[in-house]
Amino acid sequence: MTTSLTSAAPPPVETKRAATTPPKRPRSRTSRYAIWFVGPFVVLFVGMYVAPILFAIYKSMFRIQRDALGLGGTQEIFDPLFNYAYALGDSTFIESIGRVLLFGVVQVPVMLGLALGIALLIDSASARAKGFFRLSSFAPYAVPTVVSALMWSFLYSPTNNPFNQLLGLFGLDINFLSQDFALWAVANVVTWGWTGYNMIIIYAALQGVPGEVLEAAKLDGASPWRTAWSIKIPLVRPAILLTTIFSIIGSAQLYNEPFVLKQSTGAIDASYTPIMAAQASLQSANYPYAAAQSVLLAVGVAVLSVLFFRLTSRRSS
Amino acid sequence: MKSSIVKAVGVASILTLAAGGLTACSSDTTSGGSAGGDGKVKEIEVWTWAAGYDESAKIFNDTHDDIKIKYTQIEPGNKGGYDKIRNSITAGNAPCIAQVGFETLPSFVAEGNVVDVTESAGKDKDLYAPAGWAGVNVGGKTYGAPQDQGPMVLFYNKTVFEANGVAVPTTWAEYQAAGEKLKAAGIKLTGTYEDYDYSGFAWQAGAPWYEIKDGAWSITPDSPANLEVADYWQGLIDADVIGAGIWSDDWAAGLGDGSIATIVGAAWFAGILKDSAAASSGDWAVAELPQWKAGDARTGNVGGSLSAVLKGCDDPEAAWTVANWISTDPASVDELVKGGGVYPASVAGLESELLATGDDYFGGQVISDVFKTASGQVNEDWAWGPGVSTLVGTLGTGMKQAYAKEGGATVATALTGAREATVSELKQQGIAVNE
Repeated sequence: MTTSLTSAAPPPVETKRAATTPPKRPRSRTSRYAIWFVGPFVVLFVGMYVAPILFAIYKSMFRIQRDALGLGGTQEIFDPLFNYAYALGDSTFIESIGRVLLFGVVQVPVMLGLALGIALLIDSASARAKGFFRLSSFAPYAVPTVVSALMWSFLYSPTNNPFNQLLGLFGLDINFLSQDFALWAVANVVTWGWTGYNMIIIYAALQGVPGEVLEAAKLDGASPWRTAWSIKIPLVRPAILLTTIFSIIGSAQLYNEPFVLKQSTGAIDASYTPIMAAQASLQSANYPYAAAQSVLLAVGVAVLSVLFFRLTSRRSS
Repeated sequence: MKSSIVKAVGVASILTLAAGGLTACSSDTTSGGSAGGDGKVKEIEVWTWAAGYDESAKIFNDTHDDIKIKYTQIEPGNKGGYDKIRNSITAGNAPCIAQVGFETLPSFVAEGNVVDVTESAGKDKDLYAPAGWAGVNVGGKTYGAPQDQGPMVLFYNKTVFEANGVAVPTTWAEYQAAGEKLKAAGIKLTGTYEDYDYSGFAWQAGAPWYEIKDGAWSITPDSPANLEVADYWQGLIDADVIGAGIWSDDWAAGLGDGSIATIVGAAWFAGILKDSAAASSGDWAVAELPQWKAGDARTGNVGGSLSAVLKGCDDPEAAWTVANWISTDPASVDELVKGGGVYPASVAGLESELLATGDDYFGGQVISDVFKTASGQVNEDWAWGPGVSTLVGTLGTGMKQAYAKEGGATVATALTGAREATVSELKQQGIAVNE
C-alpha cells in the first residue's frame, strides 16, 4: 500500500509541476512579446487618434471672445456647452448635415447595388475576361479623389461638356452644377470613384462561397438568378454590411469632391457638408467651434453606425 | 462566426473612421522654429505665395552675415495659405514673416496673429507709397512692410476694340455701351467678378463695407450706395454682355482667342493675362478705370499685400529689417517684379528700371505709367474689418449664383447674404455689431 502509494505519488507531483511551472514561462514570454507587437499600434493609435480626439473635445469647450471692435486679440473662455448650443442652432451647419443624410440615403444604395451587381457578374460562371473587368471597374478608385473631382468638373463645365453635346441631339440642355443637380453631380463623382472599391470587397467575399454549395444548388436545378439571390447574396451579407458601414462613414465625411466642384458653381457653398462647415470655421479662426462641429459629427456617425449594426444583426438572428 | 468577426472589424473601423473626421482637419505639422537664437546668425523664416521671393531671399543671404532667410513658398492666401499660416500660429511653429493681403490684415489683427512693429517701422515710413503704407496700418499700429498694391485699371483687347470700331470707355455707361456693341460681334466682357475682385468697384464708388460707428462695426455691403453699384453689374448680367466665369478655363481661353475683350481689375492682372492668354500677346492695352461721372478721377484697390510679422516671432526687430529689405532693396524688388509681376508699394520699387520700359505683351505700352496714375487716385476712405474671409467667401458663392441667374439670385441678394453671414459670425465671437 505504502509502496504503491509512494510509487503512485510522484507522478501527480510531476504532472502538477508540468502543469504549473512550464506554462508559466511561455505565458510571461508571450505577454512580453505581445507588448512588442501591440506597442507600436497602441502608441500610434493613442498619439494619432485618441489624443487629438481628447484635445478636440477639450478645445470645443471654450468660447472665443474678442473685444468690442475685435482688434485687441482673442480670449478663450471656458464655457462647455456654448459651441454645442450654437452648432445646434446654426442653420447652415444643420442644413449641411441634412444634405449629407439625403446624399447617403440615395447614393449609398445605388453605389452598393452597382458594386454587388458587377461583383456577381464577374463572379458568374459564364463571365469572360474577368481580369479585365475586375481591373477596369476598380481603376477609378486608384485615381485620387481630388483629381477625379477636377476631371469631372471639366466634364460638367456648362459651355463644353460632352454630355450636353449628346443631349443636344434630343434638344436637351442640363446644367449639371445648378442648384437642383449639384448634389447628384457630387454623388455621381463619388459613385464613379468608389463602386470599384466596394465591388472588390464583395467580390473577394464571393470567392469564399464554398463550391459544394453552388454545385448542390446547380444539381437541384437552381437558375443562375436563383443562385445569386438565394445563395450568394445571403452568404456575402457580412461583406455587404461592412461596405455599407464604410459608405455611411464616407458620406458623413464628404469633402474632397464638393470642395473641388465648389470652384465651378455657386450651388455649393463653403458649408456644403459638415466637414466643409468645420473647415469654414477654421477659416474664420474659430478653432473651438470647428472642434465642436467635428465632435458632433463624430458622435452622430458613431451612433448611426451602431444603430445600423443593431438593426441588421437583430434581423439576422 | 464570420459575421461576428465582421462585426468586430466593423465596430473598430467605425471608431477609427469616425475619429478620422476629427483628425483629418487637424493642422499641418510643419516644422521649423521661427528663429534660431544662438546669438550669432539669426534665421528668419519667410512664407509667401508670390513668385520671386525665393530669388530675393538668395540675394539677401548672399549679402547679409548676421541674418539669414529661410524661405518657403505656400499656397495663395484664400487657396489654403491663410489656413496654413493660422494653423502654424495655433500650433506655435509659425514663421516670423508671412505674406498677408491688405484685406485680410484686420482679421489677422482681430485674431491676434500679428505683432505690432510700429516702433521699428516708424522710421522707414517714407520709403513707401502712401497707398501701400495705409494697407499695413490698422487702428494706428503697423504690422509689417507693404509689398505690392493693386490700383484698378481697365485692360482691353485693343485689336478687337479697333476691329469693331469701339472707343475706349471712360465712364461706366460707355463701358456698358461698348459691351452691347461687342456683343453684336459675339464678343463678351469679363463681368463675373466674385469676391475681392468685386470689392474694388465698391471701393471706387466710395461705398464702404466696413465702418466703425458708436464703438461697434457696421457691416454695409448692401447699403444704398452699394446697391447702386450692384444695379450696374446686375444690368450687365441682364444685358448678357458678360462672358464665362472669371478664373475658369473658359474665361482664360476667351481672353486668349479674343472672345472676351476686357478685364477691369487690379494692376496685377497684367501678370495673369500674360500667363492665361499668351496667345493674344501684342493685342492688349491698359487704360484708366471707367468713372461713374465723366471727368472724375477715382479708382479702387484690389489686393496688395504685406510681409506681416507673425505672433510668436522672437525677434520682431530683425523680422522688420528683413521685411523692409525685401520691399525696398532695388535688387530684391526687381526679382519680385520679374517673378510675380507685382506693382511695388515702395518708392524704390516704383523707380525700378523694369517698370519704366515698354511691355511687348501690351504692344510696347509703358503700363506702369497708367498704374502710377491709378495709384494716386485710389479712394482713401476704405477700410477692411474683421471677418473678411467669411464675407468674401459667402459673396463669392452668391455671385456665382447671380451670374448663373439661378433661383432669383442677384448681385444685391449676394451682398445681403454676405452681410448676414458676416454679422452672425462676428456676433458669435463677441464682437459688437450695429444692425
